[in-house]
Amino acid sequence: MSDYIVEMRHITKRFPGIVANDDVTLNIKKGEILAILGENGAGKSTLMSMLFGMYEPDEGEIFVRGEKVKITSPNEATRLNIGMVHQHFKLVQDYTITQNIVLGIEPMKKRWGFLPYVDLKEANEKVAALSKKYGLEVDPTSKIKDITVSVQQRVEILKMLYRDAEILIFDEPTAVLTPQEIEFLLKVIESLRESGKTIILITHKLEEIKKVADRCAVLCRGKLVDMCDVETTSTKEMARMMVGRDVTFELNKKEANFGKEVLKVENLTVKDKNQFEVVKNVSFSIRSGEVFAIAGVSGNGQVEIADAIAGLMPVANGKITLNDKEITHMDIRERTETGVAYIPEDRQAYGLVLDFSVAENAVLKDYFKPDFCEKGILKREKFDAYGNEMIEKYDIRSGQGVKTQVRSMSGGNQQKVIIAREIELDTPLIIFVQPTRGLDIGAIERIHEQIIEERNKGKAILLISLELEEVMNCADTIGVIYNGEIKTIKDAKSLSTKEVGEYMMGVHS
Amino acid sequence: MKTNIKQTITKFLGSEKGQDKVVPIFSVIISLVVGAIVIGIIGKNPIGPYHNLLQGSGILPKASYAGGKGMLTDFMSFLNALTPLIFAALAVGVAFKAGLFNIGVSSQMLFAGFIATIVVGYSDMSGFMAKPLVILIGIVCGAVIGGLIGYLKYRFNINEVVSCIMVNYIFQYVISFFINMFYVDPVSRQSKAIGQAASLTLKNVEFLGMKMEVPLGIILAVLATFGLKFILDKTKLGYEMKTVGASQKAAKYAGIKVGRTMVVAMLISGALAGLAGVTFYLGYNTSIQPRVLSSVGYDAIAVSLLGNANPIGSMISAFLIMIISKGSTYMSSTAGVPQEIASVITALILLFSACSAYIKYRLKRTKNEAEEKNGQVSKIQEQMKEEA
Amino acid sequence: METVIIDGLAFALPLFIVAIGGIFSERSGITNLALEGFMGMGAFIGALAVILTKEFFPALGSVSFYIAIVLAILGGMIYAMLHALVCIKFKANQVISGVVMNILAIALTGFLTSQFNSVIFGKPSSKFVLDVLGRFSVPLLSEIPVIGGFFKDIYPFQVIIIIVAIIAWYVLYQTRYGMRLRACGDNPHAVDAGGADVAKIRFSAVMISGALAGLGGICFAYSISANFSSSFYVGYGYLAIAALIFGNWKVIPTLVACILFGFARSGGYMISGMLELPSTFSDLIMTLPYILTMILLIFFSKNNHPPRALGEVYDKGKR
Repeated sequence: MSDYIVEMRHITKRFPGIVANDDVTLNIKKGEILAILGENGAGKSTLMSMLFGMYEPDEGEIFVRGEKVKITSPNEATRLNIGMVHQHFKLVQDYTITQNIVLGIEPMKKRWGFLPYVDLKEANEKVAALSKKYGLEVDPTSKIKDITVSVQQRVEILKMLYRDAEILIFDEPTAVLTPQEIEFLLKVIESLRESGKTIILITHKLEEIKKVADRCAVLCRGKLVDMCDVETTSTKEMARMMVGRDVTFELNKKEANFGKEVLKVENLTVKDKNQFEVVKNVSFSIRSGEVFAIAGVSGNGQVEIADAIAGLMPVANGKITLNDKEITHMDIRERTETGVAYIPEDRQAYGLVLDFSVAENAVLKDYFKPDFCEKGILKREKFDAYGNEMIEKYDIRSGQGVKTQVRSMSGGNQQKVIIAREIELDTPLIIFVQPTRGLDIGAIERIHEQIIEERNKGKAILLISLELEEVMNCADTIGVIYNGEIKTIKDAKSLSTKEVGEYMMGVHS
Repeated sequence: MKTNIKQTITKFLGSEKGQDKVVPIFSVIISLVVGAIVIGIIGKNPIGPYHNLLQGSGILPKASYAGGKGMLTDFMSFLNALTPLIFAALAVGVAFKAGLFNIGVSSQMLFAGFIATIVVGYSDMSGFMAKPLVILIGIVCGAVIGGLIGYLKYRFNINEVVSCIMVNYIFQYVISFFINMFYVDPVSRQSKAIGQAASLTLKNVEFLGMKMEVPLGIILAVLATFGLKFILDKTKLGYEMKTVGASQKAAKYAGIKVGRTMVVAMLISGALAGLAGVTFYLGYNTSIQPRVLSSVGYDAIAVSLLGNANPIGSMISAFLIMIISKGSTYMSSTAGVPQEIASVITALILLFSACSAYIKYRLKRTKNEAEEKNGQVSKIQEQMKEEA
Repeated sequence: METVIIDGLAFALPLFIVAIGGIFSERSGITNLALEGFMGMGAFIGALAVILTKEFFPALGSVSFYIAIVLAILGGMIYAMLHALVCIKFKANQVISGVVMNILAIALTGFLTSQFNSVIFGKPSSKFVLDVLGRFSVPLLSEIPVIGGFFKDIYPFQVIIIIVAIIAWYVLYQTRYGMRLRACGDNPHAVDAGGADVAKIRFSAVMISGALAGLGGICFAYSISANFSSSFYVGYGYLAIAALIFGNWKVIPTLVACILFGFARSGGYMISGMLELPSTFSDLIMTLPYILTMILLIFFSKNNHPPRALGEVYDKGKR
């Protein structure tokens, strides 16, 4: 009998075109916190999804509590007391917390002795008791669509505990949280360990590992490259193992040289579809040569500010001025022509037409200009020539050159197409929203460099990011948004990560 | 062994680009095979009936012809029936490219045909005045209804499929009401026949000793096909429509006026449907049967799907589907196979075309798997070499 | 006034059960424009059963009606499996598949009706003639003025529909299956993570949809024309879709919409009868429910909340 609760031996998993896991052997001790570290696409999530029964390995074996098992479905995993909190929460928006927790194992009762029905009353009580026991406060009867992201995460954790999970897998749990919420979550994770649970933490954030984990498995391109003791390994070493080379955490950023005011936002209010004010009376301005970053927890109105400036959402109140020209009520194209470039948050839904080629996407905002179009007739050959130019200049990797369908390209290269197109618009203002989400470290570094290059050329940059590290690294000025309001605007150098976090929570006054 | 077959099929179906052509052909073949089985079940040899289909369409010679008739007579009459179907398929296709599903082609046809009939068909204008006017009315009336449906979608977020169907029924009954009230022919129970001057098909033209119909609309239909292809591939408007069709969000982000583009696409679609209407009611037919929507608008969906909504593809598929539909009368009378089998085969083609995305997906996967396997084999070979 | 209620209900209830079918499918996340075809296929199988039993077991008499109901439900259900297969297994566009199902149903039932007539009965007819269905009234209640109309001249199928509708409502909102089904239409990933099989739930939901549409279809065939032919397809399936859209994909509001349609239709006929308009005008009255639908759509479409995952292909392996 080994002292490992889970053993994964020689696991290989292939997807069309790639090998996601290549002969990975991983042992997990009972009662430990094991971190799994790796870049995006290194195969961390795939590996753990196999433990949770979402996929089956092509090769290799899994042992749980010393017994060989075949985990064919999440049901099977639940039976083995394995639970998982996914990166994208799997919650039914229209259901209450309790309904979500019991989904799949609904407690049944019989009405008048024969009519079966789902008994939520008892379940509500059980959920309330569980939430008290582990300090995960929730109201069992509120609906998912009405609660914040961090509460939703608690629901996901309660879902595992309700199912008596002993082995808890967390997939990038801190990506959507504020520093304070992260702090809280890490404490919860530690207390879960104390009550005897085994925890697997998938992450690419080194500080978190340093804080709570006992051991750390490093994955790189589908292979397990190292298994280290967290206590005796430095973050630098871990980073090198993860990327396969030395990583500089510092961005080479020269002193800012601010020019005249480019963008001025005054008393901006934006309402969503249900007439709810998502941005409330926000004012700020950005000078040329300045990176203005808005930090905040997801869903606090920051994306709506960007959408309102770019014209994707109507302005309910207030005034937006670009280079002394009011753009508040212009349509989207007029704004682009006046000088707004926009790298949107959702690159697949908004930034690109996935079924179009690289060339067609490269001209998405230019196709009607004289270079590409005369009297309504397109100059197709110019599309391709321009596309080739972009591929060259921005190092876009695509299978069949300009003719490649964007859908078939990697996330990093898709983002390169968008950034190429927007930077080439050569506008005084460039808006970046979550520009590095889901990309690997190399690509992130490159994008940060590009942001700084544009700033040094005298552009005004609006950077909206959920990654606090990114904000702290790139910004000259930081505005923190909470609940639709900008709580503070300060010089980046005068703010600490902790302070920004407090503003993000709305606790700093 | 199984994978071998898979690989052969994959190889046969060729590259991704070629699939756009090969998969529809596959759908047709499978449907014809299924149709053959059905014919077999009702106790007939399917080869004969299928041969009859081609004969009935004037593509293969029949055994005998009545006086003053010949293969060309049949073929011209085939083209006469084909004309509205091409227009209708283009109408469905252009809407489809913009992400809209125009299943109201039939009522757009009916409306255009009805207005042209009462305005021009019952007047005593000369042919030089009447024919262009019929075409113009067709374009305008169709565009009005198409545009209306586009506008309802844009302004009130009404699903165009539901509104198209409602409009179909409303027009069907309202026009039936007007025909029965004012324009009915008491003998045929249809609308009174139009004057020959307004008809877009010349009747009883003598050529090489044969009498035949000459559909003027077919020239227009071919022109419209190439014109639409040009618009979609080479113009700003076409690029905008395709962008809207591929992703409304990205189109909005790019600064394209999504609502306006959808309305324009529906205007074009409606105009083409209107042309289908006038060539159908004032060409192929000379009167309107009340309370009946022509099936052309629905067949056009099959045609367009089969042709990938591409204009040239639609024209070719229209040709194919029309052989089944037009030839079925002759098939039924010669081989004794019920005519309805034709619409069953058409519906089956539609069914298989609807699954084409899946077929493509499977093909791609099989191909990837095959490539991976080849890759692995060569890797192992390399390793063995190294070791040696 | 009573006839408006009587005729209105006789129309509204079959429409309602078809719309509930639509709700099952759409709440599970599968767009269902195929209701018209499901209805037609159900009515066809049911009608076929009637004439076959009449031909070979004439002694059964009015029992043939109940056989028709059962077989119509089965027929609709089996045909719906094709839609489910194409949408779920073959991941086709659900709107297109729905329209294709309708076209195929019209073609197939037309072809088979004349085939059966000529092969089995040796007569070249394109319709199946059904019995005229008897009606009953509830004693006492039916004698109340005006409201009595709800209890007068009831078709037996109306009672069946009400019972089935109550069961369907209970299943959708109170049982484990219903809870999972509605979750599938909101976020199928949650259902999958909870350990239930999304494909199975959706497949069965579409089958239920077909069963209920088949039931509605045979009732229409009995009540409106007492036969089955290609003139059966007059778009009531689409009307049911419109009803469930106003009903915001909920059972009770959908019932209200259906009753509204029913009364608009019977009210129109009553008015034309009172004005002694010639029969040509019935064409205009036929358009009333459709025009009402358009108007209601204009007012209601903006504030609709369709199920979140409606029409999206669920791909478990999506990375």
